[in-house]
Amino acid sequence: MQEPFLNETIDTLQLPKYEGVVLTPLHPSYFKIIIFNIGLVFGLLAIGAGLGFYYLEELNPYRLTITIVYIVILLFTILINVISFKNRGFAFRAHDVIYRSGAIATTTTIIPYNRVQHVAVHEGLLSRKLGLAAVEVFTAGGNSSDIQVPGIDKDQAEKIKYLLMGKINPQQDEQQL
Amino acid sequence: MNSNFSQPQRQSLIGVVVMFADTFQGTARALWPFLIVWVWKINQYNKLYIGLAVGGVMLLVAIIAYLKYLNFTFFLDEQNEEFVVRKGILNKSRIAIPLDKIQQVNINQSFIQRLIGVHALEVDTAGSNGKEVSIRAIKESLAVSLKERLLEGVRDAVIDDDEFNSKTSYSRQTINKPFIQISFLSLVKTGITSNYIRSFAVLLAFMITIFQNLEEFINVTGYDDSPLDDYINAEVLLKFITFIIGAIIFLTLIVNLVRTIVRYYNFRITKQQNGLLLSYGLLNTKNTIIRPEKVQVVTVGRNYFQKKFNLNDLKIRQASGTEANDKDQKKTAIEIPGCSENEKNMLLQFLLEKIPEKGVVVKPNLRKIIFESFKLLVIPIGIYFLFAFKIEPSVKDYIIFVPIYGVFAAILIYFAFRNSRLFVSDDFIIKQSGAWDIDNDYIAPHKIQSVSLKQFFWQKGSDVGVVTLHTAGGTISFGLANFTKLNELVNYWLWQVETTDKHWM
Repeated sequence: MQEPFLNETIDTLQLPKYEGVVLTPLHPSYFKIIIFNIGLVFGLLAIGAGLGFYYLEELNPYRLTITIVYIVILLFTILINVISFKNRGFAFRAHDVIYRSGAIATTTTIIPYNRVQHVAVHEGLLSRKLGLAAVEVFTAGGNSSDIQVPGIDKDQAEKIKYLLMGKINPQQDEQQL
Repeated sequence: MNSNFSQPQRQSLIGVVVMFADTFQGTARALWPFLIVWVWKINQYNKLYIGLAVGGVMLLVAIIAYLKYLNFTFFLDEQNEEFVVRKGILNKSRIAIPLDKIQQVNINQSFIQRLIGVHALEVDTAGSNGKEVSIRAIKESLAVSLKERLLEGVRDAVIDDDEFNSKTSYSRQTINKPFIQISFLSLVKTGITSNYIRSFAVLLAFMITIFQNLEEFINVTGYDDSPLDDYINAEVLLKFITFIIGAIIFLTLIVNLVRTIVRYYNFRITKQQNGLLLSYGLLNTKNTIIRPEKVQVVTVGRNYFQKKFNLNDLKIRQASGTEANDKDQKKTAIEIPGCSENEKNMLLQFLLEKIPEKGVVVKPNLRKIIFESFKLLVIPIGIYFLFAFKIEPSVKDYIIFVPIYGVFAAILIYFAFRNSRLFVSDDFIIKQSGAWDIDNDYIAPHKIQSVSLKQFFWQKGSDVGVVTLHTAGGTISFGLANFTKLNELVNYWLWQVETTDKHWM
């Protein structure tokens, strides 16, 4: 006797809700990297502007304007990055990975594990010093559908990688049958 | 067929002609700016030298073509299960493609190839951009048997897969009997009713090129002022504009018609073991295979005229080997023009395994109109006025076009809003969109690779947002719509993807 075939109606409201998941924020040290990057870009800009002011006399009337614009853009960039940092979060559920990012527009991307193609762990020069890594999850859906979660503790990143590999591999065994 | 492919062999000898044409085309393309200058000044040179130069180039091209022919060999390495191509005159290269990596083998025929009775065979693999290997001249019988041999490895895998999924495999008896044939009349109807925008763009590009060349010519011939300026006054200009608009409409229609017929002449769809074989084209004959399991998104499009004529345009997006971006995906979509309602349903049945039903309707939020108006009306017109009053006053002359553009854009926004719908059923997600050409995109939930939801911070209060579904054949976005509803749908789709045992390819 086979088991009776059941096909009950699914109450879509009873399904697990992705939006109710509490997301893990990024590692606080990652904010240092963001600040460092901003500092690097704006430091170079400041040096450029300083040299310009010193050597090019044509720029003299615009000194104040340029300085104000520079400060406004700097403050705006810092603000956006602070919001963006607070906004970012990730969660690895039993069947999918969720990543939220963005400051002006919040984007939440969800990749089911059975659609993951491969996983990569990246370490930058600075993030290695701070013991951080980024986990990148690839699907076959092209660049826009991939997720890159930065600012994860390095050990945790490796664990996540093995977790995902474990989730991918059983499925591949099935395919080979 | 028992042709032997295990020994390296060359292409058909007559293929030298194709090589010659290819090389010649390449040379001409590389040299055309010089050629144009020379053509203008042709009278200044001695005819003898020109003849000698042309003859010399031709001879060189012919020698290169012959060397290319001599150095191009291909064979099937049975032991390593590889298809090997050797080519190159000075830089030799050996390309080996493992048989199981071959995605598709296409047999095409360009005009020149048709004249001399040979075919081109292109091998498409996963993980490469464009066609990796292309044999430019091969006899048809040889091409067909080579194609069969190349696809054997792939087919074995596919049949295993099919048995595993307990799908029905199609018997060999149905081969060669056209499943659907698009008649000449349907093509004519499609030609005059569709793709106005694309043909208009082609025409515009063409006219701009002509105009630029004309200007260059005028400069070369040494007029100081543009002679056109003298002839222009208001009345003439008005007549001219009316004439131009009429001519553009007429030419667009003609270009469209010719383009459609040349491109899709004698469109035949044949059922094969695991897919559909499409073959079409008047001058260049193309053969493509569509395998249902590779199909990611099917788009059915029609406008008002096409609805009256009972025509549908199908666009099929397959999973590509490369991780191409969305625009490339749209370009590489396979088009089937001019299908009747009945043929459309047959194709959908074959490609999607059942005819999709429209399920629950999701309508966009009224804010979509505001958002689109801002994007298409407020910002462009604002930029125009900023330009006209602050930077370049001469732009003011075109102020008459502002209300025309405004009305046009408003109508488009309204109809795009009215047609924007998402239909969700258990087996399909259907997105309807478009102002004039109304497209329906069909995806099965198990083809989804990932889902993203996007919301601007000012949209949180009004609870609206955009959802994007990523597939291996491109993305589908829908919004602005009720975010709570979208979240509910996303949870449902995720559940579907995570519990399905169907593979996306």
